[in-house]
Amino acid sequence: MIKKVSESYRHHVIAFTLGPALKMIEAVFDLLIPLIMKTIIDMSTFNGISAIDSETNPFILKIASFIRLFGTWIEDNQNLNYAIIGGVIILVMGILGFLTTMITQYVAARTAVLVGSEVRCSLYEKILSFSKKEREKFGNARLLTTLNADSYQVQQGVLIFIRLIVRAPFIILGALVISLVLNWQIGLVFASIIPLILFVIFFIMRKSSKEYLNIQKKLDRISIKTSDTIEGSKVIRAFNRQDYEIHSFEHLTKDYQTNAIKVARLNALINPLTFAIIALATLAVVLFGGLPLLESSQRDVALSSTIITEVAYLAQIFTTLVQLTNVVMVLTKSSVSKSRVDEILSVKPSITSKEGAKKINIPDGKEILRFDHVDLGYEEDGNLALKDISFELNKGQSLGIIGGTGSGKSTLINLIERFLDTTHGTVFYKGEDIKNYPLKDLRDEISLVFQHAVLFKGSILSNMQMANPDASEEEITKALKDAMAYEFVSKYDDYLLYPVEEGGKNFSGGQRQRLSFGLVDG
Amino acid sequence: MNYKKRFLSYLLPQKRNIFFIAISVLIFSIGQLSQPLFVGYALDAALNDDSKLFYIFVFVSLGLSILAAISDYIFEYVVGIMTQKMILSMRNDVYQKLSRISIDSIFKSSQGNIVQLEIGDVENIANGLFSVFKSLMEGLLAILITILMMFVTNWILALGVIILSPLSILVSRFVAKFSHEHFQKQAKLQASLNGISLEGINNSDLLQSFNYQDDSLRQYDCQNEILRKEGKVALFSASWVNPSTRLVNNTIYVIIGISGIIMIGLTPVYPILSMTIGRLSSFLSYTNSYTKPFNEISGVVSEYEAAVFAFKRIDDFLNQQEDIDEGNMDIDDIKEIQFKDMYFSYEKDQKLIENFNRTIHKGESVAIVGPTGAGKSTLINVLMRFYDPVKGAILYNGIKGTEISKSALRKNFGMVLQETWIFSATIMENVRYAKPDASDEEVIQACKKAHADTFISTLPRGYDTLVSAKEGLSEGERQMLTIARVMLLEPDIVILDEATSNVDTRSEKLITDAFDNMMKDRTSIVIAHRLSTIQRADLIIVLKDGHIIETGNHETLMNQKGFYYSMYSSQFN
Repeated sequence: MIKKVSESYRHHVIAFTLGPALKMIEAVFDLLIPLIMKTIIDMSTFNGISAIDSETNPFILKIASFIRLFGTWIEDNQNLNYAIIGGVIILVMGILGFLTTMITQYVAARTAVLVGSEVRCSLYEKILSFSKKEREKFGNARLLTTLNADSYQVQQGVLIFIRLIVRAPFIILGALVISLVLNWQIGLVFASIIPLILFVIFFIMRKSSKEYLNIQKKLDRISIKTSDTIEGSKVIRAFNRQDYEIHSFEHLTKDYQTNAIKVARLNALINPLTFAIIALATLAVVLFGGLPLLESSQRDVALSSTIITEVAYLAQIFTTLVQLTNVVMVLTKSSVSKSRVDEILSVKPSITSKEGAKKINIPDGKEILRFDHVDLGYEEDGNLALKDISFELNKGQSLGIIGGTGSGKSTLINLIERFLDTTHGTVFYKGEDIKNYPLKDLRDEISLVFQHAVLFKGSILSNMQMANPDASEEEITKALKDAMAYEFVSKYDDYLLYPVEEGGKNFSGGQRQRLSFGLVDG
Repeated sequence: MNYKKRFLSYLLPQKRNIFFIAISVLIFSIGQLSQPLFVGYALDAALNDDSKLFYIFVFVSLGLSILAAISDYIFEYVVGIMTQKMILSMRNDVYQKLSRISIDSIFKSSQGNIVQLEIGDVENIANGLFSVFKSLMEGLLAILITILMMFVTNWILALGVIILSPLSILVSRFVAKFSHEHFQKQAKLQASLNGISLEGINNSDLLQSFNYQDDSLRQYDCQNEILRKEGKVALFSASWVNPSTRLVNNTIYVIIGISGIIMIGLTPVYPILSMTIGRLSSFLSYTNSYTKPFNEISGVVSEYEAAVFAFKRIDDFLNQQEDIDEGNMDIDDIKEIQFKDMYFSYEKDQKLIENFNRTIHKGESVAIVGPTGAGKSTLINVLMRFYDPVKGAILYNGIKGTEISKSALRKNFGMVLQETWIFSATIMENVRYAKPDASDEEVIQACKKAHADTFISTLPRGYDTLVSAKEGLSEGERQMLTIARVMLLEPDIVILDEATSNVDTRSEKLITDAFDNMMKDRTSIVIAHRLSTIQRADLIIVLKDGHIIETGNHETLMNQKGFYYSMYSSQFN
């Protein structure tokens, strides 16, 4: 079991470095493609060679000499020759990039699910070790959301991290550097729009993510209302309150809609604004690049192909920026979820079995249970549910507890089963402080039938075997007979294999209670 | 109703919005996609030193871009509003339906399922509607306009692109279909894993008391491991989409680029090719933007499918038969309830209540007793018309139950059920539920009668304490609140189904006295296991296996020394 999500990350250090590193190869290739395209245009159109000769850009010169390495095998048309060689180079790069990327994708998928399942497993183990106190502190709803949804977000974060954490920033920075080297005036246009777009996107997203929280709350209310209505369908009808319920539900959906439209209005800004910025930047590139073209008297192919290349980089920056905002969004969500998971994993269950504790056997007639001035409060410095309780019980004796509703009878039981520990005073079990008795043995030795009878989804057999996995069919039949449940269970054609639905809702209240008596007996 | 027809019924009221959406997306697409063309023209004009044309092209493009940005905003905003309006009516329709179908249908469908309709399914439809309108409309239009622009730029290369484009679509469709299957499998596995944890966490006490944690954990681990393996396949297969379409798109880009370059070189020799640097620039932009909508559309295919699936589920729910409430007679002051040759069972091939005959008169207090599963609560269900008899009838003042409208019938009754129902609200609101116009004072009086006031007044926030279905109160306290509801309502006929089973005996005695007081001159029907609470009943009906086996008052039944006598003796000896 891990104690922190980062522990699980550490199990996969190699994946976290190898994956992104391999992804770099594709990113470098993606960045080079427009540049190679420009070189080919320069080399193969009009007075191509002379255009290259007058070129001062070190990148372009390197690429050009690389293409020339392949020689000239089409004697009579050199232009065609360079174009085809360049094309083949780009294609080979594309395939290489694809292969390395697929390795990264595999590493990402594998690592993500490994982390995800490790987190889920540790969470579930942790939650099952919680005592009533810890469970009530978080609430079951929160525990379930973290187990099901937050663990998924953590997994998603790992996936996106390995796949994209390097690629997006690298392409944006790379495109910026190349544009500056190609033509520094045009490069300045790039340098100014990147922060502008990032600002627009993050500003809007920050505002709308706050609204999302509101929306989620409204949605929760709709969900609670629906559950309430289903559970109370008889009462609602008995009191003839259907119309009232419909009216108040419509109020909730209207409320939700108002918030959702607010978010829609905000989010609708992102695309038009980023589009406008990129469109203006493109026109600025054309304007800054075009003016020198107008002034020069000769047809400057190199400069015009530079403009084409810069426009291509702008397009690449735009798509990558959109990708980057997604990456940031997923990672933010994931880190929020990670801290929610950590919060649960870091809790030390207040009730644990003491190490080295040993099971004790005592003869009949000796003291089995003693409460010594026991106080219990559910909240710190809150009201006490039990105050100064003292009593003794010997093995073989029976104890009856009576009292008014809410007087603390069930609380007392919780102390005996050690679902809770005392606030003050001590509970002794077989003469030993109950905290020093092995928890598993304690609960094995004490059987409990709950006020609220619960059955688990499965069959009658699977439910009966919960208490004693090795019980034979005869033993179970005997237990059912003792619990007066045999009478109705025997009427089912499939007897013990009769299905039990969620919470046992296919049985009447009395039947459920009898079956849970049978559980204890088995 | 057919689900397509039903969808139209949600779509048609949005005619005006759809009109706005269509106009704005058209303007946006033209403005956006004409830019590469103008950039290319401007470049050629600059190369030819035509400064006037150069400026014209740059500024026309500027104007079109601004217009496009504005219409894009209108487009996205209206799509958002329209989606929200449509799902609002879906949510409300589902909820209204929930109030109109029979109790039987509600109990037969799982609770999680209906909540899933209202939350998950409706959200899926919202996502689907939004992306279909956005990506599909925008994407299809973009493809059409791009093709048009490519033909305007250079028809030979345009033909080339069209021939190559199925490649990209095929690849992404293939990958999407493959991964879709795995995602569906994954979703199922996820659901069953969630089921295990839901039961485990909600019943932790029980698990711990049986030391069953390790078994539950093992079960969870096992399922988790299966999910992990399937999840890996699903994630990996989906991750082919982007790299492989990138590869295909890069290939198309290179082929078009190289052909373009060669065409520029050959244009002086063959003028028909008519390729220039500027045009190549536009063309490469179009090739890049041409494949994008394909990816986006195949990206929304899964959202679209999820939405259709969700909408079919909603349609199924809305198509369910509504609770039959054909009666339209009103009824007040019920003097006589007569069960006449009544048969009832929940399932067709099951026998429960058979040939039931009995008349209850106004002012009588009737107690129904009997072993577990004898049909006591069932009798109440039929009496309140949550279910109708299979054969025979119940007559109210001589009128058949089915001829009276359900709401008219039920307003005469007040009932406290075995399962307490507390909804998420304050205690005050929960009790007032029975009688919405009751004053605070009346509610407090009712709580006092139900002996709930004692515990409510010890709560820090008293009557304003928030309670909910699963948290905050003990079972006995919840019962007291539901009893207070009936105390507040003071109905003509009171039904108590084990109303005090979880209340301590001293409070039970006091509550019973309060009921006795209230029920003078009123009819009451009480189901009880603790026979001490019903000794004063005018009539005791003893049920066993759906049959009346004994009737009479406490004395006569005790003297009979039959089933009642043995039940009573077993409780007190």
